[in-house]
Amino acid sequence: MFRLMPTNPLAAYIDPTFTEEQQLALMAKFGLDRPLWEQYFIYLKNLLQGELGDSFFYRQPVGERVLELLPNTLILTFSSLIIAYAFGIIVGAWLAWKRDSIAERTAIPLVLTTRAMPEFWLGMLLLAVFSFSLGWFPAGGTRSPGSEYSGYFDLYTSRDFLVHLVLPAATLAIYSQGLPLLLMRSNMLEVMNEDFVTMARIKGLSNWTVVVRHAARNALLPVMTSFAIAVGYQIQGNVVVETVFSWPGLGRELVNAVSASDYPLAQGAFLMIAVVVVLMNLLADLLYNLLDPRVSHA
Amino acid sequence: MKKLLGIAALLAGVAIATQAFAAGDKIREITLTTRPQAAQPQEFQFVQLIAQEWRKLGLDVKVDVMPWEQMADLVWYNRDKWDTTGWQMVGRPERSDPDELIYNLFHSSTAPKGYNFIGYNNPELDATVEAQRMETDPAKRRELLHKAQSILAEDQPNLMLVHPKSTFAFDKNVWDPATVIDQGGIGIKNTWTFISMQPLGEQKDIILNSSDNIQAINPLFISGGTDSWITELVWDRLLRIGPDGLPQPWAAESYEWLDDKTIALTLRDGMKWHDGQPVTVDDVKFSFEAAMGDEAPMYKPFVGNIEAIETDGNKVTFKLKNATAAFLTASLSKLNIIPKHVWEPVLADLGTKDENAEDFQEPAPIGSGPYKFTSWTTNEEVVLTANEDHFSPPKADRWILRIVPNTEAAIGMLRSGEINFLADFSGDPKILLDLVEQDGDLEVVSTIDMGFRYVAFNHRRPPFNDPEFRKALSYAINRDLIVGAAFRGYAVKSNSVISPALGFWHNQDVNEFKTGADVAKSILENAGYTVDGGALHYPDGVKETLAQ
Repeated sequence: MFRLMPTNPLAAYIDPTFTEEQQLALMAKFGLDRPLWEQYFIYLKNLLQGELGDSFFYRQPVGERVLELLPNTLILTFSSLIIAYAFGIIVGAWLAWKRDSIAERTAIPLVLTTRAMPEFWLGMLLLAVFSFSLGWFPAGGTRSPGSEYSGYFDLYTSRDFLVHLVLPAATLAIYSQGLPLLLMRSNMLEVMNEDFVTMARIKGLSNWTVVVRHAARNALLPVMTSFAIAVGYQIQGNVVVETVFSWPGLGRELVNAVSASDYPLAQGAFLMIAVVVVLMNLLADLLYNLLDPRVSHA
Repeated sequence: MKKLLGIAALLAGVAIATQAFAAGDKIREITLTTRPQAAQPQEFQFVQLIAQEWRKLGLDVKVDVMPWEQMADLVWYNRDKWDTTGWQMVGRPERSDPDELIYNLFHSSTAPKGYNFIGYNNPELDATVEAQRMETDPAKRRELLHKAQSILAEDQPNLMLVHPKSTFAFDKNVWDPATVIDQGGIGIKNTWTFISMQPLGEQKDIILNSSDNIQAINPLFISGGTDSWITELVWDRLLRIGPDGLPQPWAAESYEWLDDKTIALTLRDGMKWHDGQPVTVDDVKFSFEAAMGDEAPMYKPFVGNIEAIETDGNKVTFKLKNATAAFLTASLSKLNIIPKHVWEPVLADLGTKDENAEDFQEPAPIGSGPYKFTSWTTNEEVVLTANEDHFSPPKADRWILRIVPNTEAAIGMLRSGEINFLADFSGDPKILLDLVEQDGDLEVVSTIDMGFRYVAFNHRRPPFNDPEFRKALSYAINRDLIVGAAFRGYAVKSNSVISPALGFWHNQDVNEFKTGADVAKSILENAGYTVDGGALHYPDGVKETLAQ
């Protein structure tokens, strides 16, 4: 698919000192001188051996680069989505319970507003307020300049990392909490009218037990599915937030790779995202079993 | 039969009559290519202005907007498929010698595949730029270069527009402004500044930004522009381009031309690699031979003129195939000196494989330069530490490069102290100056760049093969307007590829010419072009061969 793009990958390299022999040598080196179908089979063969090829631009193995950036992307995605979904589910359930109250009437337009805000605008707003004006949080990257960490675990558990994570994660969380919230609310409203909820009330159970044990548990199922889908969507959609907050993640890498016609790197990054999406769907299916025993008996 | 002949005669007569009566064909729609506004606001702006002016001459101009990758592909690999395009050359220390630009851009030998992508061909210019390349006497060489600039001004192979000013800023509470060095044609972001900048307080780390990712940190690979900031600090060179744009002794403490093809250099005493081993003349010889071999193709053109390298004690002697004035700048100030004990086994191994030295990334690069490599985090930062043992040790403790793709965020970081040196700024310099007034801690420095912006004409496609036509199109454009409207005053107008920043070589005489639609119209009229029904036509008898 990338090969339909109208440019020659060597265009990213042009330099006044570049001779024709050098260009031909480069083409041959990357295998670009062979027919397209042959290039594809070579790619498939290497892929089966776990080999993603070398990036045209960085001249380094794609696998290494992608795996280096993946943890940053996953942490940002999951931390923001878990906050967004926890918040969305609780507030959504509560708003359904408080239907037609003043709280609900003010909350829903507010939520819709956050849904409509462009991510970069929200990100810049948070940057301007919390970083540049108040100075509470750093403006970019995953760590302070020149700080050293022995590994990912060391980095991710440091205070330094967490303060860097706050703003980008908050941007993504604010942006994505609307969907679970509205979904949860509408499911709850539907479930609350069902017979088994009425039954539970007749049994004389407390409001808390009715809402949480009976209604919410059933309303949660579609929300879990949307979580799995949101992860995939988010990893690709992170590029905006990664750019605003200088976050070294896969999204930015993917966009750079595409614009530099760096096919191996772009394909590697896409493949990695696809793997995460498939895994998340699997996880959602497994979670269904836990939340809804009916599924496993079917 | 008679009748037929009569008709033929009549037809011929009509043909002759039309030829005598009307001028040449109407000139086809001309395309003018530019990159998008979001990526290149200034280019987009000046292209719009230029298209407007050309339309006043009766030309049908179509502006084509495309991303850089696509434009580079069109202009570079499809040399007969475009008419005119916005283009730029950036300033680099080794371009302080005018040879690279004036030779590669205009010599006819580079037209088929090299940097003369416009297809300019003028034997007189070829001879002049060849002669200046051989001339080692600076005064005589300057005369030749002035002549080359006059020829180009007369031919107008391109529509030269401006030399932009590069703008950088730093925090003057952190760094002593008196120790920041403004390198001619490059600006304050340069090796000299990073060595001499004196910290005023507790903060002793230079923290700077780049919007581009690091591609490689490799002394044998000419990779991205930002990468070169690092290689210049980690590796030494025999000579370095000084703040005045002229090469000066660096790792070599002195040099001497023995004759016009032989130069002897004396290596400085007591230099050490970052792993503690001594730097020797063998390392120097090895570094140049590595480039002359097949494993570092990008450096090969810079050493092609070397016939032999000899070492004796602490002296290295280069014997050249041809006399060349640019050798000091383009070779001795360009090649990184690399440790033989690190690279010899690597190159031997690469020699048996498809890959070359450009594919090899040292996990912890070893050089001998003023800064040592410390760490590199993908797409996030590079940390270098001052090399206390260097003959010119930096005043700062560390040099930390942060990758910040968001320009607004970079400015915010400069104000909040997250970075203290703005080394990459593509936005509007006015915004920066306003910030300085608000903030009070910042200092902004603008320097005339040796790079330039222009519109290239494709000489392969008529009417651009006609110097008079090119001249008319060029003189139609008021450069002051471009400087003001597209560059907000942060540029100087230009009519030469040798920037006024290179004062010694720049030819002042080419800068004065009258512009405006009237000037252009009279040039066209004198050259035989006519306007009919508002549309510009070729001179008498010239056909349009490229109309779609």
